[in-house]
This record gives sequence, C-alpha cells and structure tokens, in this order.
Amino acid sequence: MSETRAELPKTYHDAVVHWQTHEFPDYPMLARVWDRFFPRDGPFCLCAKVADGVSDLIEVGDLVGRPRATTPAELDPKAAHILLGQIRAQASTEFGSIQQHTGTLHRASDPQDQAWVLRVMAEELRHGYQMIHLLTSVDWSPVTDQKPADMVEEILSMTTGSHVLAAFNLEFDSFTDNVVFAAFIDRVGKYQLTMQKVSTYRPYATSMPPMLKEEAFHLAAGVVPLRRWAEAAARGDALVTMDALQKACAKWFGRALEMFGDDRPDANGGADSVRLGLKDMTNRQAQDAYVAEVTQMLDDLNERYVRAKRPDLSRDDAAALHERLKRDRGAADGIAYDDLLRLPDRRFFRRRGDGAFEMWGFDGERFDDVERCIAHVASRLPEAYRASVDVRHWAETLRRVRAKELSLKDAIKSQPRLARVGGPCPCSRSVRWVVDEAGAPGA
Amino acid sequence: MDRGTGARRPAVSEARIRDLTELDIDGITRIDERITGKYRPQVWEQRVVYYIRRDPDAPKVAERDGKVVGFVLGEVRGGEFGLDEPTGWLEFFGVDPSARGSGVGRRLTEALLAHFRSRGAKITRTMVAERDREIDAFLRAMGFTPAPLTALERAL
Repeated sequence: MSETRAELPKTYHDAVVHWQTHEFPDYPMLARVWDRFFPRDGPFCLCAKVADGVSDLIEVGDLVGRPRATTPAELDPKAAHILLGQIRAQASTEFGSIQQHTGTLHRASDPQDQAWVLRVMAEELRHGYQMIHLLTSVDWSPVTDQKPADMVEEILSMTTGSHVLAAFNLEFDSFTDNVVFAAFIDRVGKYQLTMQKVSTYRPYATSMPPMLKEEAFHLAAGVVPLRRWAEAAARGDALVTMDALQKACAKWFGRALEMFGDDRPDANGGADSVRLGLKDMTNRQAQDAYVAEVTQMLDDLNERYVRAKRPDLSRDDAAALHERLKRDRGAADGIAYDDLLRLPDRRFFRRRGDGAFEMWGFDGERFDDVERCIAHVASRLPEAYRASVDVRHWAETLRRVRAKELSLKDAIKSQPRLARVGGPCPCSRSVRWVVDEAGAPGA
Repeated sequence: MDRGTGARRPAVSEARIRDLTELDIDGITRIDERITGKYRPQVWEQRVVYYIRRDPDAPKVAERDGKVVGFVLGEVRGGEFGLDEPTGWLEFFGVDPSARGSGVGRRLTEALLAHFRSRGAKITRTMVAERDREIDAFLRAMGFTPAPLTALERAL
C-alpha cells in the first residue's frame, strides 16, 4: 500500500519541533547513528503519512457498507465524540512515551539497543504529529467547542503524571523499562492501531497502516533485547537476571491491560465503538488476543533461557524440559520453574477494570488482609519502582477502599500526584507551545 | 538462500500465510535448526528485525496449528548491481521438513511475489547455490528462469 506525506501548517509544525527541543533533546542523535544502525533505510521524516488505497466503505458496525465519513460532521454525534477521545488519547500516548523513554535512554548498555529505542522515540513523535494532523486538518467544531490550537496545546502540555492513560504516567526506573515497555505497552498500541484501521472515519483509518508498519519495529526493539538478556541471564551474567525482567513485566502488565478500557468480563466494554464502526473488537476480545500474544512472547524468552542454560540438550529435549517445568512448577536439570518468566494474574496490581483495587496475588490467589496483599504485590515489583509515589498511591488507595473510606469509583478516578505536572513551554518568553507566526499566543 | 522448499508431496492441512512478526523468530530459528542442524537465534534476530523495519508487510510465514512451518524473507530494492528498476529480492526461505510437500513453499513465494507487485516491482530476482538442486527445481517450477547475470566471487 503506497502512502502520501503531509506536513502540518507552520504554526503546529513549529509547536511540535519546539516540544521536541525540550522533551526529546536526543532527537538529533538519531541522524548521527542512522547509517550505522539502519543502513539502507530512508531518512526519518517528521510528517503525517496517509495510506492510499483504503476502502471508501465502512467495514464494521451498524453502517457496514456505507461510505466512510471524511469529516467529523458526517459522523454520528456519539461516534464523533468517541473518535475525538481516541485521537486525543492516542496523541497523549505518543508524546507521553517519549517523555518516559528520555529519562533512561542513556542508561542503555548496548549501542544498538539504544539506537533502536531512539528510533522508536522518533517514530512516536511522528505518530503524535499524525494525531495533531488529524485534529488540525478538518473542522471539529460540530464535536467540540475547543479550538484546534487549544487541543494541540493541551496535548503538548501533558507530562509524565498528567497523561490520559496510567501506563504513560509511570517513570522508567532503568533501561530495562525502555525495553519491557516496548514489548508490553507498544504491543497494546499495535492492537489499538489494528482495531482502528477499520475506523468509519476515513482520515483515521488511512493514518493507521503507516503507523502500524513502524509499530512492528517497536515491538522488535523490545523483544529482541529481552531475548538476548534472557540468554545472558542463563549464562550467569551478573548484570542481567530473570528476576529483574520478571519484576519489570509485573510492573507493566497491569497497566497494559488497562489500556484496553473496561475489561470486566460482564461489562462488554467497547461494544459501542464496534457498533459505531470505530473498531472491530470489544475491549475484552482484544485483550484476550493480547494476553495470548504476550504469553507466547514469554514462552519464547523462556525457551531461549533454557537453551542457553542447558546447551548440552538437543532442541527437542530442551523443549521437553521447558514443558515439564511449566507443568510441574518444580525444578529439573538445574532449572527451577521460578527462574522462568510468567505473566501475573490479570487482576494483579490493577487500578481500573477487572480486579481494580481488589486483593489478588500474582498467581491469582486471593488475600483477605490488606497489608499482606500490599506486601505480596510489593515483593513482585522492581525495587526502585516499589519506592515510587505511584506504588504508594496504589497501596494507600487500596487501604482506603478496603476500609470503605473511598468508593471504588473514586479510587479508579484517583491519580497519583507526581512532582512533575503538565504546563506550557518552559522557554522564558513563551507562554504556549502553539504560537502563531507573528509570535503571539495561538488563537 | 536457506534450504527446504516444500514441493512434491500431496497437501496435508492448509497452513495460514500471514505477515512475519517479531514473535516468529523462534519458529524460524527452529526450522533453520531442523534443516541445517545449527541453532542460530542471534542470526535470525538480526535478519528478522532488518526485514520488519524495512517493510514489515513483505516477509511472510506459514502457520499451521499455531506453529510456524515456513517462512520467506525479501524486499523490494533498486539500484543493486546497476539494476535500477525496483526489484523484488527473494532472499531467505525455509519450510519445516514436516510440512514439505504441502504446497507451503509455493504459497509463501506467491504471497511474497504478490507483495512485490503491489510495491511496483516488475521483476523478482534471487540466487541459488549450485549444490541446492532442490531449491533450484522449486524456483524453476515457480516460474523463475536463469537471469542474464553472472555471479562472481574471489577468495580473500
């Protein structure tokens, strides 16, 4: 599928570039390492990409077979509101992930891993740019009173702690987070983009294929370093342990599940979006497929671990050992079940949706005592993260919910207050990111 | 090019042909190990990432009962060896010995060639070692013919 490229009007293009200078200062490094790590690849382009050849007809929902909407005004009002929320949330995730990656990018121990994450960040910047293109290239006034410049300003003003989704409000503790985030959180992004490829709103549907192509690399930028780390751990590398990887998985898995929206089995979350033609799976359906995929990912990592730990075994014998360890949950041939990576129960350490502020353990065991539950959850999380405001907020909120001092609804709405909050451009003479060409605040 | 083509035997059960993802590295490594006897995960990690970042819609795998039973890796490039026109380069493929004869190799190749066409390529090129007679026969059966090019080499 070919694609057409577009640049934002200067006001918005400049706003994104200005944002980049503050929030993504490593961006120029990408051009310097490009030929070394991405030989033959065309240069990176900060632009919107629109896929050609996408069908003009709606693919799912009540209006299947009818022409896709090309402006928000042509959409069902409810669909238009949901769509606007999707675009804003997507934009928030794109810019938010860059802010998270930035903090630990320079802690990478391998130049290739670092270059891969750097490219991921640049492509997330392009995806954010794509969302701003969607918000500023058509008239949204039938859907919202907010002006395009204000919508963009709001998005660019978000920082870690004020983003739409919890997964983008967690600080990275080490480069392990950069990689595990790419493997777990970007994978949810792949699901969202894939589902939205069928969107009844044509400009959104045509934005998805180029983003998905880039997202495929983002997942690899997470999985391949993890594979190598699993092998290094098996060989006794003191700097990489399966325990550290396991704890990082426990940190991110719950936040990844929450990105799908309300996933309670009886809630039928996302059904309206399917009916309105905005995506082709309900929240739980997509999440089930996601869980199967990350289960396979961990299986592959474990197999790599077993092969490296027991290089004397044949492929079939190593696979049999791996299966035996999973089945018996014991130890055999020098490897213990606890050495292997595994997913927590879906309800473990949840803030929203299925299991939110309930007392579930890593393996799905139920706790009656709140302090024992908190101690158990904390023991499964990375040490640096355990001491964070985020975990403290979760623990305090759980205590208040269990003591009936706080309703579950209010607990779910509650967000930890990070030291950093959103705001305008930090340049001394600017008050906004979006500034019109004459230098006055954007209209 | 890797070995194993999948010609001759009657079809067993239909494999699903789909785009390659990063989670197929293990499956491809397994097929390569079955064919060559070598366990080379790092090699396939680098190769798979290369194709995924270049054009993730190009490389294909065949999946049956949740297992990868075949793969084909390639991409459209132009300018190599003075050949300016966009060329679909078929570079690696392999079919699990257990899946040979089921048409997996043919369907994988056809899927890749269809992608090359959609990318504007009018020709597909590949190279085969003389000793790989089975691959040579497979490619000829797929419509490939000797090219007016000579492969040259020099020991260093």
